Amino acid sequence: MSTEPATATMPVGLSGAGPVLRRRRGRIKGSSIAVFVFLCMCAAFVAIPLYVVIVTSFKPIEEVTLGRIFALPVHWTLTPWYKAWNTLCTGLSCDGIKVGFFNSLAILFPSLVLSIALASVTGYALALWNVRWAGTFLFVLFICAFVPFQIIMIPLIVLVANLGIYGTVWGIALVHAILAMPLLTLIFRNFYKDIPQELINAAIMDSGSFWQIFREIVLPMSANIMIVVLILMITTVWNDYLVGLTFGGISAAPMTVILANAVVTSRGEVIHNVNMAAALLTAIPPLVVYFALGRFFVQGITAGAIKG
Amino acid sequence: MAPQIALTPALVVTLVGFAWAIGWTIYMSFTRSRRFPDYTIDPADWYSQYERLFGNDAWTTSLRNLIVLALGSALAIVFGFILAAMVEREKFGEGVFRTIFLYPLAVSLIVTGLVWRWMFNPSLGIEAFLRGLGWTSAQFNWLAAPDTAMYGIIIASIWHGMGFYMALMLAGLKSINTEIWSAARLDGVSLWKLYTEIIIPMMKFTFLTCAILLSLGVVKAYDIVVAMTNGGPGTSTWTPAYFAINAYSTRSNIGFASAAAVIMLLITLAIFLPLALVTAWHHRQREAAGR
Repeated sequence: MSTEPATATMPVGLSGAGPVLRRRRGRIKGSSIAVFVFLCMCAAFVAIPLYVVIVTSFKPIEEVTLGRIFALPVHWTLTPWYKAWNTLCTGLSCDGIKVGFFNSLAILFPSLVLSIALASVTGYALALWNVRWAGTFLFVLFICAFVPFQIIMIPLIVLVANLGIYGTVWGIALVHAILAMPLLTLIFRNFYKDIPQELINAAIMDSGSFWQIFREIVLPMSANIMIVVLILMITTVWNDYLVGLTFGGISAAPMTVILANAVVTSRGEVIHNVNMAAALLTAIPPLVVYFALGRFFVQGITAGAIKG
Repeated sequence: MAPQIALTPALVVTLVGFAWAIGWTIYMSFTRSRRFPDYTIDPADWYSQYERLFGNDAWTTSLRNLIVLALGSALAIVFGFILAAMVEREKFGEGVFRTIFLYPLAVSLIVTGLVWRWMFNPSLGIEAFLRGLGWTSAQFNWLAAPDTAMYGIIIASIWHGMGFYMALMLAGLKSINTEIWSAARLDGVSLWKLYTEIIIPMMKFTFLTCAILLSLGVVKAYDIVVAMTNGGPGTSTWTPAYFAINAYSTRSNIGFASAAAVIMLLITLAIFLPLALVTAWHHRQREAAGR
């Protein structure tokens, strides 16, 4: 057990919580209430913006201009949602956020298939087969996982344009697969390396080939990690803005790009309730994934961070 | 041979998508390329893009904002730890609090930025609400003024990142031996001392990981700037990531954008190097403890 004093590591970390926690010794009830109140205040800070956006998106525009952001709508209306989906304007056209929704879906599926197929096979080969330069390769991948996108953006644009898929969902999916490959490979490799080597050796003795072992032994054991990676990728790809912006052109722009265009850069009349409904429509798919599969979601988000 | 064949695609991606691409950008930063790549380097003047870059006021602002944003959003780590410690101790409502604190992680930075843009909107958000309550001098129009706009972005970043650091801290706290808690209680160590002198030092690796991940995230800060201020007012909320994209897409200057991207890479490496060393050190320690 390490008991050295906290010198460099964030001595300020508890300055806010100190008095609250110290009181706990004497009056357990009192400090519990204080902690609870503090947690509630933080929860309010986190929850209020979402609440405001939700209630505003159901208000008619006359109520929005009153500025009572916390009030529930007097007259509930779905018109902003309808307009956001069908007629939201992005400077060039007024086809609504639905165009972006379908583009995002069209980007999502090839991205998932490409990136997961590539990373799981690579991770499996590096973890369970004797590859001489595996250590070096893993280190290079570790570095690649943290490289800023801007340093590879322009050459990738040249490359994707030369392949003739610039401005299509395939171009975006390819870039997502390239960007995700290092991190996903590390995640898969860390998961597969815990499979007992004897199991693989026995399978090889049993004249199992590389692909056969992958299909019949390794893949059936991967359900857990597949869900984690799937959620990580769904969130990353759906929430991505930069790749969609720089590789999507006009015709393949994902939902986030259309939303940002509509709210930030378009010069027309600003209709807040419609914009908020559009923002919610963009946020709903990953939020559904989060609320449905929270535990896996947290694993996915933190997996790369801790185990990397 | 099969493993080698299976590794080929990943190898190609690494060599072309990363190694070649990084090399290309570094090379371009030494050329005078504008809208189209120009492969000639003037040996007497290879540093001209960097000279222009560091003579550019917007770039200086970007670098300063990078530091401001890093220091400001470090609060997300502080709050993340406090929340993790509290959620861990108070079993009451743990699931509910966890769900609430973590949901911003699922929200994209574009939506986060827009939501906070509306919260800071004077006729729509917090300011209108406070004035409606009777506090007529309330000032929350931070995004409209060059000297407060960055603080608006910092608040939105904290909102988005707090849950992530809480999750990392919870994982760190859970890995601490349960005997320490009971031993500390038996010894009558005060909670304040328990945390500052035992728990936090034990979690220094977690804190360092959080700090490095935060810095790497800050270097990439682009979406949230676009959504909240689009760089404005003026160039007051530009970041290096925003600068590099802008140099490419608005100014169509490949050489200039490449120079900015190379500096971003250098900043990332400067942050990343300690992470690599610490990870190696941590692995060795864990292995030693395992034996």
